Amino acid sequence: MKRSSLAGLLLAVGGALPGPVTAAPKILFMPGVADPFYFTMEKGIKAKAAELGAELVVAEYPKAWGPEHQIPILQATIARQKFDLLLVAPTSTDALKAPLKAIYEKGVEIITVDTFLGDGDYSKKSDYSFPLAYIGSDNELGGRLMAEHLARLVGEKGKVFVEATNPDTSSVQGRVKGFKEGIAKFPNMKLVGVEWCQDVQQKAQEQTLAALQRDKDIVGIFGTNVFSAQGSYQAVVNAGLTGAVKIASWDATQELIAALKKGQVDLVLAQKPAEMGALAVEWGVKYLQDRKNVKVPKKVIPGFEFFTKANVDDPKMQQFIYK
Amino acid sequence: MEAAGVAGVEPTRARVLSLLAERWLFAFLALETLYFCFAAEGFANPNSLQILLFYGVEIFLLAMAELFVIVTGGIDLSVGYVLGLASIVGTKLIGALAGAGVPPAAALALGAALTLAVGILPGLVNGWLVAYLDVPPFIATFSMLGVCHGVSELIIEGVYAMGLPPLAAELGSGHLLYYAPGAGMSFLARPEVERGTEVWEIVPNVVVLAAVVIAALWFALSRTRFGRHVYAVGGNRDAALRAGIPVRRRLLAVYALSAGLASLAGLAYALKYVSGKADAGAGSLLDSIAAVMIGGASMFGGSGTVGRTVAGCLVIAVLELGLRMRGTPTFDKYVLVGVILVGAVVIERWLPGKGR
Amino acid sequence: MNEGATTAAELAPGSRGGGFLESRAGRALARNWSAWFLLLLLVTFSFTGRNFLSIGNFQHVVHLQTLPLLLAAAETLVIVTGGIDLSIGFVAGLASVTAAKLMQLLAAAGLPAGAVIALGAAGALVLSLLPGLVNGLVITRFRVPPFIATLGMWGIANGLALKLSEGFPVAGLPGALPRLGNGYVVYLLPGEFLSFLGPPAGFPEGRIREVWRLVPFSLVFVAAVLAALAFVLRRGRFGRHTYAIGGSVDAALRAGIDVRRHLVWIYVLASGLAGLAGVFNVFQTGIGNYTTFSAMYELFAVAAVVIGGASLSGGKGRVLGSAVGVLVLAFLQNGLAISGVQPFYRYIAVGVLLVIAVVIDKLFPDLR
Repeated sequence: MKRSSLAGLLLAVGGALPGPVTAAPKILFMPGVADPFYFTMEKGIKAKAAELGAELVVAEYPKAWGPEHQIPILQATIARQKFDLLLVAPTSTDALKAPLKAIYEKGVEIITVDTFLGDGDYSKKSDYSFPLAYIGSDNELGGRLMAEHLARLVGEKGKVFVEATNPDTSSVQGRVKGFKEGIAKFPNMKLVGVEWCQDVQQKAQEQTLAALQRDKDIVGIFGTNVFSAQGSYQAVVNAGLTGAVKIASWDATQELIAALKKGQVDLVLAQKPAEMGALAVEWGVKYLQDRKNVKVPKKVIPGFEFFTKANVDDPKMQQFIYK
Repeated sequence: MEAAGVAGVEPTRARVLSLLAERWLFAFLALETLYFCFAAEGFANPNSLQILLFYGVEIFLLAMAELFVIVTGGIDLSVGYVLGLASIVGTKLIGALAGAGVPPAAALALGAALTLAVGILPGLVNGWLVAYLDVPPFIATFSMLGVCHGVSELIIEGVYAMGLPPLAAELGSGHLLYYAPGAGMSFLARPEVERGTEVWEIVPNVVVLAAVVIAALWFALSRTRFGRHVYAVGGNRDAALRAGIPVRRRLLAVYALSAGLASLAGLAYALKYVSGKADAGAGSLLDSIAAVMIGGASMFGGSGTVGRTVAGCLVIAVLELGLRMRGTPTFDKYVLVGVILVGAVVIERWLPGKGR
Repeated sequence: MNEGATTAAELAPGSRGGGFLESRAGRALARNWSAWFLLLLLVTFSFTGRNFLSIGNFQHVVHLQTLPLLLAAAETLVIVTGGIDLSIGFVAGLASVTAAKLMQLLAAAGLPAGAVIALGAAGALVLSLLPGLVNGLVITRFRVPPFIATLGMWGIANGLALKLSEGFPVAGLPGALPRLGNGYVVYLLPGEFLSFLGPPAGFPEGRIREVWRLVPFSLVFVAAVLAALAFVLRRGRFGRHTYAIGGSVDAALRAGIDVRRHLVWIYVLASGLAGLAGVFNVFQTGIGNYTTFSAMYELFAVAAVVIGGASLSGGKGRVLGSAVGVLVLAFLQNGLAISGVQPFYRYIAVGVLLVIAVVIDKLFPDLR
């Protein structure tokens, strides 16, 4: 009530003043897949859109990762009404080029969040340089950093193991690739295996236990998302190896942070989904209000935060927990 | 019941109801379409139909594959991963041929033909196991699912298959006809227009392909000796044997056909999404079987038609698209799809004349 | 608490069931290729897999199969009647989330941890009967094919679980949960102590891996449930009716069986077993987990049941056979992994070995 009358007042005042006036911009958020990372991103987007008075539509969350799940939803939603801005997490660097280009041609501005088209460099001329910006995380870099942190935790020697999710998910492959490269820099460390749990915690637990059974001297495990991290730390707890095997996990859910506090997990990488979403809305709306003068940076990487036992209670870190 | 007092009304009403029962699937399809035309913003638009058909191509083809197998009383769990394997093999082969200097059109045709040839192999193995070695279809095709998944992942080594020539994308996302107000019509090629101009795209190419294939399958199942044999095998295997039908050969053919259709769907996937990946069809398995069942086929074989299976696919597709365009929140949509599909079948069974 | 009660009540018929098994163990084994195959796998992997043959490994594998074992048992009941239940995987997820949410609420209301756990688990179990009731009524009263009815419930249960959990694993539950779910009956450190149900008070957590931990609670629990089910299905009127319906509905009707009522019970029981699996999952992980799409629990449950000797056309199938089916799939994965077969080769190997086993079984009918 109060808000709408306030908006009305602003509009009335705006009408009298010189300068760019637009109706509330309409934003569409197209997430990559139904998982806690994107749910958290939605919250960041929602809050920022409300703050800036933009109208937000959240498309259906795809059941699984892949263009065959995402593009039909995107097309159906975009056909509903006219949007000014599309925030999309492309589930394929190639398959999304043509459909997004077609949407762009209809006059919709596009920002890719979390993931990107082509190689993610929209500053050079190419068939995928039409988005305003890419605001996301560098999965390969994250994987490399994870390897370095984990190496330090285990004294830069010993066997490590990766519990990953779905081999057909490009972002997960990026994390694994980066981690492999990172570990390769330590001559006394060896990657003994990569398993794929298909987002099933139960399977992650089984696979980790089998790996621990085969290589009794594994010293560190990297779980590449919520489900694989949960499964692998629980396997380690079950095997009575807590502390002896260090667990590095990707994605800072409350559960993983709680496990960190209990000493069952040793390292948690937080991406900044809420921040990514908020930044995307902010830059997008800014651009829509003044297309001529606003220069949107082509690439924004909010980076990562690492939770350890030392900083987990730090009040400044609490904002990075996914809620 | 309340109208029982008025003479003549009761018989008419009964006739209408039993006719409705007979055609309930199509009536429900019409009803839900009508409902969404009013309830979902932007749904009442020819474009909706194109979206529905274009993105439904794989499900349509997989449902056809399942239909034949289910009519014989079997099930094929491997179609989803055969689709994935074919999308990878197709992408790699066509890409390699084009890269070796073969003209794009020839590379596409040759690569597609080779992919279909490779894609039928899993079906031949399934059929051989089921028909000649008496392996239960569930176990044979469940095992094949794993084999195709493993082979696919080994081929792509963690990066999904890509490298198709531009012609593939043009064909895959292309339409037969384009119309830009002011710029006129053009066939097969999208006209160059300024950003923000509306271009009408009419009839996607892959939909034409699927329609032709489905028409051929309709003919095969309902008008040929092969089709009669398929029903006979599923209806009563012993009777079919006594009638001199080569049951084993027919079963082999049906499983090969199933894998062939799945491979065709894999090629459609590759052209549409200019890439191939192992789990490209993993999510479509249940939907495609559901379409066949909603079309009235029995899990135990002997029944099911192409027309009703197409209608079953459309019932699901319209429901999904309609709820999507209504802006139904994701989790509510899962619940609603379940409730509405079951509700539709409940009404069908409740209508008189359908008692089984 | 709840768990203890179940165990005590059901162990009695279970032990009698064991006696029945022993007397015919040889025949049962001979009739069932999957049991031979499982045995062969265990022997082979003991040679090929480093550390495969160890009590620890076997206990872990069986412990982690608790959920699949319960789901396969649920699916067996339904498949024996000639039906199929696709919803069990998501019903398990729904029960897991419901239990966790209930526990959160009860804990927030200030109840002691024991009451929180018992009431939360019991509440979720009772609620988990509802999907089965709906399935059963829709299937029997409206003659909706089981495939469609339970596929509908598949989506409904999944949607509800996701709504309830808002898409996040439900965390912040009593710490006693995973201790109960992952505990053992016997703790033995040679030369130092032998204790039951837990290590001696004050034993440092860091040294737990030196202790011989034997007989997981989960094993006792799942064995009791499966034995009770096997007994009911094999010995009681309930079981006779179940097989009769699966053999021929018409014959069952002529024999005076109330087929509709019986089928409703079957779907309710299946749903309840799935709920039990979901609630156990909370004990095992300490978190409420919704089932993800890629889990395909229902597919693996049906596969295990078919491997265990059931036929999808009904009338055939045994709870213990399905349990063997689950273990075949589990040990194939575990054994191949420990033998160093890389994941993608393993997908292929599981398929190939499974088919070879069935084919050999079919080629030599005298083995049975």
